[in-house]
Amino acid sequence: MNRRTMLLSTLGAAGALIVGWGAMPARSRIGKPQDMLVGEGDIALNGWISIAQDGTVGLAMHRSEMGQGVQNALTMLVAEELDTPMQQIVLHQAGFDSIYGNVALFMGALPFHPVVNEGEKPLVMKTGEWLVGKIARELGINATGGSASIADSWENLRYVAAMAKASLLMAAAKQWQLPIEELKVVEGKITHASGKSGHFGEFAKQAAGQKPTQIVLKQAKDWIVIGQETKRADIPPKTDGSAIFGLDVRLPKMVYATVIHAPMMGGKIAQFDEKQSIPGVLQLVALKSHAGSANGFAVVAQTTWAARRAADSVKVQWVAPATAGIDTTLILEQLQAKLKTDSGFAFYATGDVKKAQEGAQQIIEANYKAPYLAHATLEPMNCTVQVKDGQVDVWVPTQIPGLVRALAAKIANVPIDKVNVQVTYLGGGFGRRLELDFVAQAVQVAMAMNGQPVQLNWSREQDMANDFYRPMHAAVLKASINAQGSVDSLSVKSAGDAITPRWMARVSIPLAGPIDAPDKNASEGLFDLPYGFAHQQMAHVFTHMGVPVGYWRSVGHSHNAFFSESFIDELAHATKQDPLAFRESLLKDAPRYLAVLQLAAKKANWGSPLPNGHAQGIALHESFGSIVAEVVEASIENGQPRVHRVVCAIDCGIVVNPNTVEQQMQSAIHFGLTAALYGKIDIKDGVVQQNNFTNYQMVQMAQSPVVETWIMPSSRSPSGVGEPALPPLAPALSNALFSLTGKRLRELPLMV
Amino acid sequence: MQLNINDKTVTLDVDPDMPLLWFLRDVMNLTGTKFGCGVAACGACTVHINGQAVRSCVTPVGSVIGANIQTIESLGTPEKPHPLQVAWIAEQVPQCGYCQSGMLMAAADLLARKPKPTDADIDAAMTNICRCGTYQRVRAAIHRAAGEAL
Repeated sequence: MNRRTMLLSTLGAAGALIVGWGAMPARSRIGKPQDMLVGEGDIALNGWISIAQDGTVGLAMHRSEMGQGVQNALTMLVAEELDTPMQQIVLHQAGFDSIYGNVALFMGALPFHPVVNEGEKPLVMKTGEWLVGKIARELGINATGGSASIADSWENLRYVAAMAKASLLMAAAKQWQLPIEELKVVEGKITHASGKSGHFGEFAKQAAGQKPTQIVLKQAKDWIVIGQETKRADIPPKTDGSAIFGLDVRLPKMVYATVIHAPMMGGKIAQFDEKQSIPGVLQLVALKSHAGSANGFAVVAQTTWAARRAADSVKVQWVAPATAGIDTTLILEQLQAKLKTDSGFAFYATGDVKKAQEGAQQIIEANYKAPYLAHATLEPMNCTVQVKDGQVDVWVPTQIPGLVRALAAKIANVPIDKVNVQVTYLGGGFGRRLELDFVAQAVQVAMAMNGQPVQLNWSREQDMANDFYRPMHAAVLKASINAQGSVDSLSVKSAGDAITPRWMARVSIPLAGPIDAPDKNASEGLFDLPYGFAHQQMAHVFTHMGVPVGYWRSVGHSHNAFFSESFIDELAHATKQDPLAFRESLLKDAPRYLAVLQLAAKKANWGSPLPNGHAQGIALHESFGSIVAEVVEASIENGQPRVHRVVCAIDCGIVVNPNTVEQQMQSAIHFGLTAALYGKIDIKDGVVQQNNFTNYQMVQMAQSPVVETWIMPSSRSPSGVGEPALPPLAPALSNALFSLTGKRLRELPLMV
Repeated sequence: MQLNINDKTVTLDVDPDMPLLWFLRDVMNLTGTKFGCGVAACGACTVHINGQAVRSCVTPVGSVIGANIQTIESLGTPEKPHPLQVAWIAEQVPQCGYCQSGMLMAAADLLARKPKPTDADIDAAMTNICRCGTYQRVRAAIHRAAGEAL
């Protein structure tokens, strides 16, 4: 199957749907007032903006706050177009209409080459984006992920805010009998040159009936909020203990449940008596597998500690799966064998790699590998549920509230409108909270509690052993050097599990089909390189190894950038060129990439003298629409790599809040550093070997580098920020270590 | 048996083996103190016992009878926030925020002992895990708070 056929088959998962429906206009995302859940006395002006009687603005918040500062940035977009101070805007959790879906997230899943398509987009790309955009709008899946929140809401939120402002001005003009041109909004109030002034609440009722026809967004030169370092409203409650995470939900008469999963992957309960009597236990519940959850049971008690302590006394017999126990050493061998025997699915090809390599002066080839990784969010998986009188209430830190609602309805067997989902703050997401396994468990336990609310929470050990892991991947990279001594071809073959088809089946997205469509996530960061090699071919061999796999911050880029950017460094050294100069020479047709690379190099004083025993490494990578270059300064201390400084340059289009961009650069670099230095999940005979932070180590203050962030000015629409700084860290570090030791590291984590 | 939590006296009617963390969270509903690992590895559960930073997930509640227990909820008040809380907001430290109660309690203990800590002091005292990588700003906020009278 070639790329084009694959694309259409992916899109046409609902084949017949496209005919006829394709001609209909794209679903509007402005929404109707009734889409917005408003407070008593509030008046909604569309699906996003409501006005309270005192003039306070309500904003339907459709994205989960998991640290990335999204609620601040989205509020800024509304504050800008409504000319209203951010403090006057109150967030209400968005409802469940499809207008709150994340269209940009699905667009980002298309396997298009970013450099080839940098200018005028070819027809296949336009068609693909149009189709996926339409499908995503129909599905309306509310998901926080793919670094896509700002890209997704950038146009729409500013538009609905401008529309609300226009309606309010029209209403005020009528009420005051003044020409609308003489009115304006200043600091969240409607004012007239005469000194007349009124708050929004005075005009809301009449504004709701207005139909503004011409909505004009502000020009960039007139922005007073966008681009400013505004303070995050979620930060004060995160400094005094008052912020409510999933585990902090407290309800009258609430009890606590802990979960014990089968100790081996794929294991099941063989014998278990729910009626066995254990002191302190209120209820035992055998848990059915839903949404990919491992088999196990829940113990309900008055406190978390009582439940966990009692769990040790519960009698249960497990049965191991019929297939042999999963072993990561064997999986790695199988991946490497696959690379030899399978041609894989071609994600990108240009020129004639075969010919270039046959006529080459020299061939350079290297094998790279990356392990399974756990997410290890600091707040372990949890969900609080009450099932009472046919009503299901769910409090949960989740990245996918709409899918939580659908699954809860299915398990509790109630109509979907009988399920309410309250999204709390997330104590980290990183892709782990794009899953529903713990939700399914909490609903099952709540159903056994006769209306009593129950908070289900996992211990750290259960959390680490029952993750949807970043898949192990291996790759072989091969380049040819021609008679003139320059690199003219690059071929990459990688192997590893696809995530998307597994995930779609788990969370019940109606796009999951009987056969796997090739998952772009597997090859991203390999097939889409910016470098101008004349001949390229990138293919991926899809496997299905049996380990549950999921989206892990920056997904395929997280390991593929390590493969590609380390290998580029190898090629620079093989052709005796400076790694920066080598990259520059290959970026003639990718000016934005070149500019970001040079910005990082300049700010890091690339090539100038460093303290004794220190060396620099550089890497460049695009992901989620943003280009990031990093220069790492490292040394070796006590036999361990030590990162002192990371200079990071990013082009993420227009910046909404430079402060949160800087936060995310620091964040993703640390997340990437932990993975590069320590990250590895081993499975032996089906048992995950790591079980807590004591053997799944994290970077702490003493290992934390200074991160310097430089943002490229841009007038392009915003692109991703939460993930793109992660991929370049491991290769930049590895490249620095090569300069220090002369030894090339081709496996994560990096062992010097 | 009585406990002194945030300057209030509380009667203990649970198993004295229960870790202080769960007594605070599930019995007292003081949820600012967080669970992260249960083995004193991450520091999210850090509280003060007689002014010293202690990891409450491995501290039996029965072992702190009569001691002065302080949680994040009493680090400052809205009228008189702790200088670290002011610095935390000024430096925009938290991201997801889950580790930050523990970070603040550990930092408050450090400043009480060493009003002008060096970077090395901070490295040694601040062994809390932050999955969002806020370390650089935590360091900056501690230095900022140290510049103000405590």
